[in-house]
Amino acid sequence: MGQGKSQFTEEELQDYEDLTYFTKKEVLYAHQKFKALAPEKVGHNKNAKLPMAKILQYPELRVNPFRDRICKVFSSSNDGDCTFEDFLDMMSVFSDNAPKAVKAEHAFRIFDFDGDDMIGVSDLREVIERLCGPEMKLSDSEIQQLVQNVLEEADLDDDGALSFAEFEHIIDKSSDFCHSFRIRL
Amino acid sequence: MDDEVESIEMKPASMRKTFTLRNKVARQAAVNFMPSRKMAYSTLRLRRVSSEHNALLEASMSDAPDAVEKQADIIVREMEQHHHLMEDNPLSEELRREALRDLPQGLTMKRNIRAKLSASVSLRSKRRPISMFKRMKYRISFTWKKSRDHFRDFIFSIELWYEAIRNIEGHLGSAVGSYFHLLRWLFGLNLMLSIFLISFIVVPQSLFDNGRNRTELKFVDFISGMGGLEDTLLFYGHYHDGIISTGPFQYNMPFAYFFTMVSLYLLFFAVLCYRTADSYRRNFIEPAGGGGGGSAVRAALATKLFCGWDFGVASPRAAALAARALYHEFRELLNEQNKKKEVSSIWTKIRQRLTNIVITAIVLGFIFGILYGLWLLLSVEDLTDNREIYISLIITAVTAVCPIMLHFIVKLEFYTARTALYVTLARTWLLDIGILMLLLVFWVQSDKSCWETSVGQEGYRLVALDVPVSLFLLPGIELIRGLLFHYKFIETPPEFNIAYNSLTLIYNQSVLWFGMMFSPLLVVAITLKFLLLFYVKRETALRACQTGKKVWRAAQTQTVLYALVALSLFSTLFALGSLFLRSSPACGAFGGYGRVYELLTEGALRLSQHSAVFAVLHFVTRPGPIAFVLVALCVAVYIARARAGAQRSMARLLRHMLRLQAKDKDFLLSAIEKVSNGEWLYSPKSEEYGADSHTWKYVNEVRKPSNAGYHFDGSRLSHSFLERPRSYVKENRPSSYVERQKSNEDGDTDSSFSWQGSSSYLNQNDVEKS
Repeated sequence: MGQGKSQFTEEELQDYEDLTYFTKKEVLYAHQKFKALAPEKVGHNKNAKLPMAKILQYPELRVNPFRDRICKVFSSSNDGDCTFEDFLDMMSVFSDNAPKAVKAEHAFRIFDFDGDDMIGVSDLREVIERLCGPEMKLSDSEIQQLVQNVLEEADLDDDGALSFAEFEHIIDKSSDFCHSFRIRL
Repeated sequence: MDDEVESIEMKPASMRKTFTLRNKVARQAAVNFMPSRKMAYSTLRLRRVSSEHNALLEASMSDAPDAVEKQADIIVREMEQHHHLMEDNPLSEELRREALRDLPQGLTMKRNIRAKLSASVSLRSKRRPISMFKRMKYRISFTWKKSRDHFRDFIFSIELWYEAIRNIEGHLGSAVGSYFHLLRWLFGLNLMLSIFLISFIVVPQSLFDNGRNRTELKFVDFISGMGGLEDTLLFYGHYHDGIISTGPFQYNMPFAYFFTMVSLYLLFFAVLCYRTADSYRRNFIEPAGGGGGGSAVRAALATKLFCGWDFGVASPRAAALAARALYHEFRELLNEQNKKKEVSSIWTKIRQRLTNIVITAIVLGFIFGILYGLWLLLSVEDLTDNREIYISLIITAVTAVCPIMLHFIVKLEFYTARTALYVTLARTWLLDIGILMLLLVFWVQSDKSCWETSVGQEGYRLVALDVPVSLFLLPGIELIRGLLFHYKFIETPPEFNIAYNSLTLIYNQSVLWFGMMFSPLLVVAITLKFLLLFYVKRETALRACQTGKKVWRAAQTQTVLYALVALSLFSTLFALGSLFLRSSPACGAFGGYGRVYELLTEGALRLSQHSAVFAVLHFVTRPGPIAFVLVALCVAVYIARARAGAQRSMARLLRHMLRLQAKDKDFLLSAIEKVSNGEWLYSPKSEEYGADSHTWKYVNEVRKPSNAGYHFDGSRLSHSFLERPRSYVKENRPSSYVERQKSNEDGDTDSSFSWQGSSSYLNQNDVEKS
């Protein structure tokens, strides 16, 4: 960790500790992980911006069906490219210490593909298709039926889409969300 | 409750599809200006409000260069409304820090906001001298925070097996990871126990032993714990019953033994209870709360959708498996739905219930049969030379095989998958704890002179014989199955059976709780065993096993496992308290006392010298007072229950009121909207609403022709509303106001109130849901 330490001053670390759910050691550890994605570039500039393709080499993200969405949600330039701070942000939200509400907020944005602040029918279809993976495909009518069921269950006001409040309602009812929405550093 | 408020208040914002985005945003802005929104309940609301402002902003100027600045300004302005955040003292600084951390924004934005905030705070602050007391308070809270951070930092740097567990979670999912978390936690617990026991009991005794010659050991002794091993540090009987004096130091061994054991038992019981209760609250009570009153939303599919993907999965193979599992689950759900719902008659229900009862009775009979058999076996003397070993072997075999049998038996019954798992867990636990209790009772009532050592030996043998089973046999089977799968001899790879593996852990831990009192070094043995088990299990899990085909819901099962560990400790405490404390020890550390509890009454408190205290204690421990205490406890429990019931019904009432208020609000909002659009009182035709809508009631009951001064054809109106088929209402919901107008141009031109649409949706909804 000696190498990592030289790249950050004590104030910077304190700053990160204040603004994220990590301790200083964890911040340094996160930076190691970030550096491992592109050793030269990050060695040169500790807060270098890595293209989305590089970020997606992180093992958990590589296999995640929502990988591009995750990058876009956390990217400060909104195009999926992430600086170290974006990466730290991402890991902080996915960490054990982040409260459920913060996780839910980001999960909502990840699932909201078209960005209209509602999870609509098209978003739900996309979620189902991505969850089932590239090999197994549900037929169109099956997906339609599933979407219908989800809306029947969760769309409390019958407007054909899930608002954040409705989404959070589902999350609150599930004891597994915090377990599943988690990437360990 | 706050969340409930929010979820209801949010509804109006998205009430109609017909709204354009602009309309929605404007309306949300109006809602945000309501007084209730202006109060600082929690940072949660704060976050949401500010992010809605972001939506507002983004709608108007998405790519403006100073958008970030403006957004930050807005959020800062929001935060400034909350006075407790803006004071110039450490407490509010900490609150500020937390609020900032919880903002769903990037780091740059947070930093920006923080700079603005602190500028604003220092601008507002009136430098006042603060009192001594306050300064002390701040200093203490600051130091506390600092040391907590340091502690977390420290914990992270010593966290055991961090990468290993992460790796396992990456390959097999976090459910399997939870087994390893349990293993690691138990290992840590036992490590602490070992440290205490070794330093307070074993080391003094070994200092005392120094110089005594040892008896020679045979191989069988290592398995049976008898012969040469009997009179060693391993067992209770060996410990000195007097004061050990080395030089100037005096060490009272009976006291050390007694108080170390008692405090460790009680301490870890408290830890376990706390942990179980905490886990229970998080995984059972919190998810169940909120929706208890009538509108309990059981969003099984939606949960699957949004919580189904385990973000911790890191290997492509595991990801493919997880995707497949989810695919099959979706198919299954659909199939279930498409199947005609069989109307289960009362007879099938009775039959199922009866089967459950009968099989449960059979299983209980089976368990007690095993226990009885064991008792008989123990009572038979002089069967062979090493009958103790054989008996322990039988017990080990029973505890290894029975869970598998019970697992199959439960399939004959009619339970849901999760209940079936819990039932199996409970039965297995009952068997395990029954066997351990039986051993204790058998030795207590036997007339052996030093029965405590015998119980310790039983524990020792069980642990020793379980080593080959759980460290070599079971992993070996898994490895072989994995190899067979690898070379395509069998179709399915071995699954990592979380329930069975966790039960093994719990069994070992139960043996530990039972044996610890009579064999202090047993703790060390089990700690070492768990250490080895971790590596063995890691290897088999990574090399041979795969994730289960079903998506395993880990969180609640975890709670049940913790509860079982706590329960076995509780039953140990109960058994020891009722059997051991009253027994008259003949050997070991307590050998000098007539009864074990006299160690406390005579030894430590010297009660016989304080006759008043003795009399009081004597009175308190008589049946009368104890019965009184029990009755008082029962009354207290009853009162607590009654209060909980009252509060529950109060919560239901309040929730209902909230819902009504939300409806009112929506009703008023849409009314205002209509007014501002100049549609008040006159519109060609109202849209669909049922007889249950408020407006309908308003039109038909309040403004009845007899009430109002003019003619109103209520019957025709209601007729046309009620006759309209439901399906039409649901499917052909017009998507815009203009369309709605068109679709209603069926010649019906009488004037009616038009400010009811929104609430009618809501009502309809409620009717269909209930």
